[in-house]
Amino acid sequence: MSETPRPTTDARRTFFAARPTAGATVDLGVSIGGLRLLNPVMPASGCFGPALGRLIPVDELGAVVTKTVFGVPRGGNPAHRLTEIRAGMVNSVGIPSRGAAGYLAELHPHYRALGPPVIISVGAHRPNGYAPVVRDLGAAGDAYELNVSCPNLDRDGTDIGSDPDAIESAVAAVRLETDKPIIVKLPVLASSIAECAQAAQAAGADAVCVANSIPALPLEAYTRAPAIGNVIGGLSGPSIRPIVLRLVWLAARSVDIPVIACGGIETADDALDYFSVGASAVQVGTASFARPFAMVEIVRTLQQRCTDDRVAGIRDLIDLWRAQ
Amino acid sequence: MSPMKTPPTAAETRAALARQAAFAAADAAALDGLLSVRPPEAGPRPEPVWDEATVVSHEVVRERYRRLTLSCGTIAATALAGQFLMITVPPHGGERILLPRPMAIHRRNPLRGTIEVIYGVAGRGTTALAAVTPGQRLLVTGPLGRGFEFPAGTRRALMIGRGVGVCAVMGSVEDAEARGIRATLVASGRTRGSLIGAAECAELGARFIPVTDEEGSADLPALGALLRSEFAAGPPDVVFVCGAGVLTRLAAELGAEWGVPVQASLEAHMACGLGYCHGCAAPVRTDPAVEGPLVCVDGPVFDAAV
Ligand SMILES: Cc1cc2nc3c(=O)[nH]c(=O)nc-3n(C[C@H](O)[C@H](O)[C@H](O)COP(=O)(O)OP(=O)(O)OC[C@H]3O[C@@H](n4cnc5c(N)ncnc54)[C@H](O)[C@@H]3O)c2cc1C
Ligand SMILES: Cc1cc2nc3c(=O)[nH]c(=O)nc-3n(C[C@H](O)[C@H](O)[C@H](O)COP(=O)(O)O)c2cc1C
Ligand code: FES
Repeated sequence: MSETPRPTTDARRTFFAARPTAGATVDLGVSIGGLRLLNPVMPASGCFGPALGRLIPVDELGAVVTKTVFGVPRGGNPAHRLTEIRAGMVNSVGIPSRGAAGYLAELHPHYRALGPPVIISVGAHRPNGYAPVVRDLGAAGDAYELNVSCPNLDRDGTDIGSDPDAIESAVAAVRLETDKPIIVKLPVLASSIAECAQAAQAAGADAVCVANSIPALPLEAYTRAPAIGNVIGGLSGPSIRPIVLRLVWLAARSVDIPVIACGGIETADDALDYFSVGASAVQVGTASFARPFAMVEIVRTLQQRCTDDRVAGIRDLIDLWRAQ
Repeated sequence: MSPMKTPPTAAETRAALARQAAFAAADAAALDGLLSVRPPEAGPRPEPVWDEATVVSHEVVRERYRRLTLSCGTIAATALAGQFLMITVPPHGGERILLPRPMAIHRRNPLRGTIEVIYGVAGRGTTALAAVTPGQRLLVTGPLGRGFEFPAGTRRALMIGRGVGVCAVMGSVEDAEARGIRATLVASGRTRGSLIGAAECAELGARFIPVTDEEGSADLPALGALLRSEFAAGPPDVVFVCGAGVLTRLAAELGAEWGVPVQASLEAHMACGLGYCHGCAAPVRTDPAVEGPLVCVDGPVFDAAV
């Protein structure tokens, strides 16, 4: 054939090339315990993996967060593991895990190679189950996020994180195992998010993450059969944002440690909503599926907003609007 | 775009749903114990990209499907037969679609920098997708997954597709033409008017065999007999199949009789398409304490053998 394929480019390539040159006066940095992050934007556990590094410049993120790691290997739930209903996304993946040893051998090097600090999410079935996993992971993580709030482990969708005493004992035990920052990821369905956050703080946590997905039961249209294999799953996406905003507001008023907001964040404005009610950092989950570049776009937009308004950081940006 | 037909009556909807439920149950049962992950491919997989693809055209085809032609040069130039895309569906009429939808790459035209996708309007996602108009830009990610591969020395290949499943095997019909492999495509569907692939096979010089439920020719015993006689003189060197578990089982049985390998493309609910959300567990039997293969990265094409 005489024709040759025309040279091509694509939006991914253009996006990589558009890396902003560091604005000298803008500092989006944030500290979680002793860990300094370049900016307050990171993925939500389970909605990220090293494979996403093929699509976006992951090194522009403040941190990366692993899928929850359990002590011993787990297989995960039967199909369907996820679906979409009008109210949002529902997943019941069931946290398949290679166990701590499998994570360290097979996955950790790939997370480490991405560049940003690696926050390892840790799971267990009982409050005393977290410390042994953190011990096994040793110094691998730059911080540990305790997932005490997965709606998918037990069929009724309740969790350790709705009980302040259970949180306190889990965190206290982990505190003895590591000097690295501890983040506690709280559930939506706690009778008092303030008491849960305070329990985490009292036991030595360095931050709380608010929140996980919301237990839900999606049905198929017409047949009304359960739409996912586990029957109950976790609702996520933009519809949960106002629910989680309230929880972040309540948590931020009740503790001194930073609150990391997680729930339905898609844009820089969504992130600013959370910052305005007291969040110090944000995690992005569901939004990355439809728009893989969403997290990096949020970082770049926050930088640009600060530059445009000639302010040094996000707090000033929010104060500026409050003053107007 | 032509307007949708009159909405189905309650009885029609119930009948359609009962058919779907029976189909899904038969499908899962038929696949049980059939599938395994293919051995590592010979060459590297193309790097996936995301792109703002321009909609070149969007039209109704074959009674019940829509063809979307997209301009996205990198994907058109690199996609392998049997790979797929994740299409982010733009909001429509106040409906927001959160998860991108996986779609097989039906045709690749690297010279024009375009690809074609054919889909059926099924639920909210594809209903919103049907509202997309030419000139609009769609966010797509691809090419993704493990496609079909001809074993070395293949001279004759049999492709079998059910409904829109024909699209998953069409890339390999394209490749067959380019490599001098004689391809036979069996398109199975409810009615003649719904079958995809006749025009494509005419263009690509492949043999096209239509079989339908309404004529009885798509029934498994009839189809099995047809294929045994079609290949009585000499079997194909490989069979590719997509679109129904029962067809995959038939293909695997024929493959065993003929002593040739069978590859099957699967569907699963997906969020990321890249292997990190763990949403797309494949129906492959494994140790329950160990996560099984994922359709998006270990497939969608698997080996099928009885
Ligand atoms: C690798 C692959 C290739 C595909 N290629 C094609 C194709 O070429 N043409 C085509 O018409 N369809 C194809 N599909 C199926 C297509 O993605 C679904 O039919 C479609 O998502 C369901 O229609 P909807 O979005 O309108 O349904 P909705 O009711 O909006 O879907 C609800 C949820 O269920 C999921 N879902 C429902 N049915 C399916 C299904 N069969 N497969 C995967 N997810 C499903 C959706 O992704 C969504 O998360 C493919 C699927 C996969 C996995
Ligand atoms: C597919 C999927 C898998 C998830 N896996 C985990 C997990 O392993 N551990 C965890 O703590 N949270 C997990 N989550 C919850 C998210 O981290 C996040 O808390 C939730 O989705 C709300 O944020 P979003 O609305 O931005 O998605 C998962 C969510 C999804 C959608
Ligand atoms: S779709 Fe996310 S792992 Fe397969």
